[in-house]
Amino acid sequence: MKKIMNLPENFVAESLDGIIKAHSARLMSPDKEHRIILSKNPSPHRKVAVVTAGGSGHLPTFLGYVGDGMLDGCAVGNIFASPSAGKMYEMIKAVDRGGGVFCLFGNYSGDSLNFQMACDYAALDNINTIQMTVKDDVASAPAYLSDKRRGIAGLVYAYKIAGAAADDMLSLDEVASITDEALHNIKSIGAALTPCIVPEAGKATFTICDDEIEIGMGIHGEPGIETKNLMPADTLADTLLDNILKEMPLADGDEVSVMVNGLGATPPEELYILYRRIFDRLHHMNVSIYMPHIGEFATSMEMAGCSLTVFKLSEKLKKYLLYPANTPFYTSLNK
Amino acid sequence: MNRENLIYLLKNISDTMTQNEDLLTQADAKFGDGDLGISMKKGFDAIYHIVSVSEEIDLGKIFLQCSAGFNEAAPSTLGTILSICMMGMAKKLNGLTDASLENMADALDAGLEMVSLRTKSSVGDRTIMDSLVPAVKALKNHVSEEKDAALTAAFKAAEKGMENTKFLPAKFGRMVYYGEQVLGHADGGAIAGMLIFKALSHHSD
Repeated sequence: MKKIMNLPENFVAESLDGIIKAHSARLMSPDKEHRIILSKNPSPHRKVAVVTAGGSGHLPTFLGYVGDGMLDGCAVGNIFASPSAGKMYEMIKAVDRGGGVFCLFGNYSGDSLNFQMACDYAALDNINTIQMTVKDDVASAPAYLSDKRRGIAGLVYAYKIAGAAADDMLSLDEVASITDEALHNIKSIGAALTPCIVPEAGKATFTICDDEIEIGMGIHGEPGIETKNLMPADTLADTLLDNILKEMPLADGDEVSVMVNGLGATPPEELYILYRRIFDRLHHMNVSIYMPHIGEFATSMEMAGCSLTVFKLSEKLKKYLLYPANTPFYTSLNK
Repeated sequence: MNRENLIYLLKNISDTMTQNEDLLTQADAKFGDGDLGISMKKGFDAIYHIVSVSEEIDLGKIFLQCSAGFNEAAPSTLGTILSICMMGMAKKLNGLTDASLENMADALDAGLEMVSLRTKSSVGDRTIMDSLVPAVKALKNHVSEEKDAALTAAFKAAEKGMENTKFLPAKFGRMVYYGEQVLGHADGGAIAGMLIFKALSHHSD
């Protein structure tokens, strides 16, 4: 293991400390361990607060989307582990402005169980909450078991839509409803070239052979749908896109947004090589692309690889996608 | 069982988890992230201390404190599941300062029902439910007997349920990805469940 760190057990605490020190003008933390990250200048217009939670090791996911136009808060866990229900509850109490709190997070058992408990506690304080999970990874379970699917980079589009809907002063039910509509139109799939190492474990807990690529691997190293020999970028782009199109066909005239996401150790150049092929394929189908997202949005420590997300737009979803958003880790201005 | 008895029982469970930390860690490290031993130790130690210093005597309120405290100290999935169980128990015990064995069996039953509802898991899924559910069932069946006999029956049932997980493929968590490789090894969660009843039966007061 080669990592820039001090003691492995301080990895999360020290990275959170750095984040708060770097972005103290825009982020704040009510607890001294910085396990709750809140926007310092939340929109005065929102009735509904939008929050998330999840493990560390995926930056900019999850806390990177706390800021203008996206999330009001994020509870942070250890590497690849859910934060506690207590921290989620404290966050919910801190962000509620009377209109309720929309809890939007990836479909992982720890996060779901803890959010459920946090919302139970919040109900005792008469705070309305709605929980919604993102399950965009088409490789993580077959379509008929879509409730078992994991949430990956599609989370970012979900945060974007929910945040914009909240900025548009919609009610809790309305924010949930438009986000639900978005989630039905967001599909992703990843591919990994190398494993990642959890600092406290000290070594990779799974392996990928030098000449192989794992199609559909999850962001914690969950096995993919097939192991293939390393292939040219265009073939990989086709493989990923075809898996998504199989489930969400696109027709002449459709409008989408596309995210080509790096998993941590893949340079942007490689992501643009992939995007080029995706663009050509969609262009050929006469599908137009709005706000392409190319870069690192949901990573897995030092894993090499990528994920592709396609977000099929309606007029309303397009409007919210194009709303401004600006956080320490995300801006709508360069897309 | 009142607050004083509960403190004593929690101390026993906490000590048992500490003594068996390596066993739990090894069971978990094969297919998980290896934090089971430390999280059970931390979780039970935390609630033992919470109840020790709390002046609350209402068992419902005590279990609610335990639910939050356990989860805070051990926010792993198993920690959260035990936390949910304690929340279910809290609802049932609300208003009681001294619970009979029957009250406790009913509370445990309610706790497990809440876990089952939230996690959609039941016996046979290779989880902690495989030891806890038969244990609580045995406890309920022996509730009219002397307490030690009832708890011993519960422990035996937990142990048997834990042994059974050696023959079960996983349906939840990261272990699912290991398919048949998990066969022959007992589930870490089920071992933790067995240890809870081992502590209760051997040192019960």
